[in-house]
Amino acid sequence: MQIAVSGGKGGTGKSTVAVNLAIALREYFDLALADLDVEAPNDHILLRVELQNEEPVHMFMPRFDYSKCTKCRKCAEVCEENAIITMKDGTPFLMPTLCSGCRACEIVCPVTGAILEGEKLMGHTYLTETPYGFPLVTGKLLEGEERAMPIVTAAKRRAKTLNKELLLVDTAAGTSNTVSKALEDSKLLIAVTEPTPLGLHDLTLILELAKLMGIEAWVVVNRADIGEKQRVKEIVERYNAEIVGEIPYSEAIIRSYVKGEPIVLTDSKEAGIFRNLAKKIANYLG
Amino acid sequence: MQVAIASGKGGVGKSSVAASLIYLLKDEYSLIAVDADADAPNLDLLFGVEMWEEEKELIGAKVARINTKTCIKCGICAERCPYDCIKLTNGNYVVNELTCEGCGVCRLVCPVEGVITLEEVRSGIIRKTTTKYGFPLISAQLDVGRPNSGKLVTEEKEWAKRIMKEKGIEHMIIDSAAGIGCQVIASLGGADVAILVAEPTPASLSDVKRVYKVVQHFREPAYLIINKADLNPGFKGLYEFAEAENIPIIGEIPYDRAIPRSMTMLKPVVEAFPDSKASKALKEIAEIIKGEILR
Repeated sequence: MQIAVSGGKGGTGKSTVAVNLAIALREYFDLALADLDVEAPNDHILLRVELQNEEPVHMFMPRFDYSKCTKCRKCAEVCEENAIITMKDGTPFLMPTLCSGCRACEIVCPVTGAILEGEKLMGHTYLTETPYGFPLVTGKLLEGEERAMPIVTAAKRRAKTLNKELLLVDTAAGTSNTVSKALEDSKLLIAVTEPTPLGLHDLTLILELAKLMGIEAWVVVNRADIGEKQRVKEIVERYNAEIVGEIPYSEAIIRSYVKGEPIVLTDSKEAGIFRNLAKKIANYLG
Repeated sequence: MQVAIASGKGGVGKSSVAASLIYLLKDEYSLIAVDADADAPNLDLLFGVEMWEEEKELIGAKVARINTKTCIKCGICAERCPYDCIKLTNGNYVVNELTCEGCGVCRLVCPVEGVITLEEVRSGIIRKTTTKYGFPLISAQLDVGRPNSGKLVTEEKEWAKRIMKEKGIEHMIIDSAAGIGCQVIASLGGADVAILVAEPTPASLSDVKRVYKVVQHFREPAYLIINKADLNPGFKGLYEFAEAENIPIIGEIPYDRAIPRSMTMLKPVVEAFPDSKASKALKEIAEIIKGEILR
């Protein structure tokens, strides 16, 4: 079973909610947390653990054996990313940063052995034990690489092999297809938002994505006491979603965030919000 | 000159800082603002934009479709899809359009001609307006579940360059997306200067280091602004990073609730609360930018 924490833009508190919720949910489930914000993974920092068990994510990249290549240009024609360019005589060249590793060129190449198996390193996945009794899987894109999708896919596969009762996924910001990939197969989406015009704009998008994917959506309003809560309610109603938690603007949360001490482990009133939410999720998932 | 503002991470206040700096620079310099965060654009909200003068759809994303009537259900497409996008659903192989990257491998490996097609879909919209402050703004919105937002950013910058030429505008200020992926690379590529915004937390430090590696790749000079600077007094990581990499720190903005309040008013904080402590710090930063960067 899988649930996800997401929300439109960055800075609304996705990772804070994901990390605290994971700790609160361990009372109910044998679980794993997956940080799929591969461009800026931070859950390990909030949990104060060093990333462990690094595994590289390699992507296929064609290498041309020019002694066998017949310069038919089929590889260049089929490449949807225009990563292969050909010289006047048809000699192919690869522009590595554009290559998506899909193997279309290899599939169409009529000559066996003209396209060789090359690979490039796109990033890493990590499997880290946390002091909280659940493992954390993290995907991390290499700086300078553009494509997050292979890392999201690899990290998700690795998280699934753990075969936990519950997988809690923390996604990147926005609603691009890498966020859809992270959300895929979730039974429930916890959308984190704030009642500001920016938060409302992004909440609409993430609820739209949940609707398209047929995922039940719950909304947690962060910094609930600034801005216009009524507008959040209107959007939530329009999407048949539900507000399941409100987190006030809180110095205690900021301090815990800064120090890397999860707030849910304190006896503050903010901790209660996460514990209630965990209980509600446990009841819903059964 | 092309100035890109980046942070590696969302929520550190990049757009608030960008909006205020643009507001402070607009009278002395001719500039165009580009919001390159097509996933969650917000400069238009911060500048109170109500109407777009011009909009362009960006077609270009491709998604695969399987004709269930002619499909022989061999499952090879699902096996070979690099991103696990094809699933057997109610007895049919179906492409999840929200995760498809449009690479076309499924079509190539399908043994039956014509069953799988690649179809062009809209990936988003690019739009232009003149803000009430007089300078033009280019923004974009990626459609839900679409890839290739780097292309969207490149299109935005091309449009901005055309307007700069037509109107003799000198500077382009780009508010880039969070993260380090294609949108950010497209934002930083071709920029003359990168201004990095970070907050004194371990998470923000980790992310700004990552985006700095991308900046180094483009060999652009970088400057650092520390936002919410008094949030975490014992934290020295940003100063150590800046010193080690020789990145000038051009300002420290204290944590100030005037910033979230100005955001709900849809105004840059320097306009809404010009005497707040954050605004004072931002004005000093703008002076440094005038003296050292834009000259």
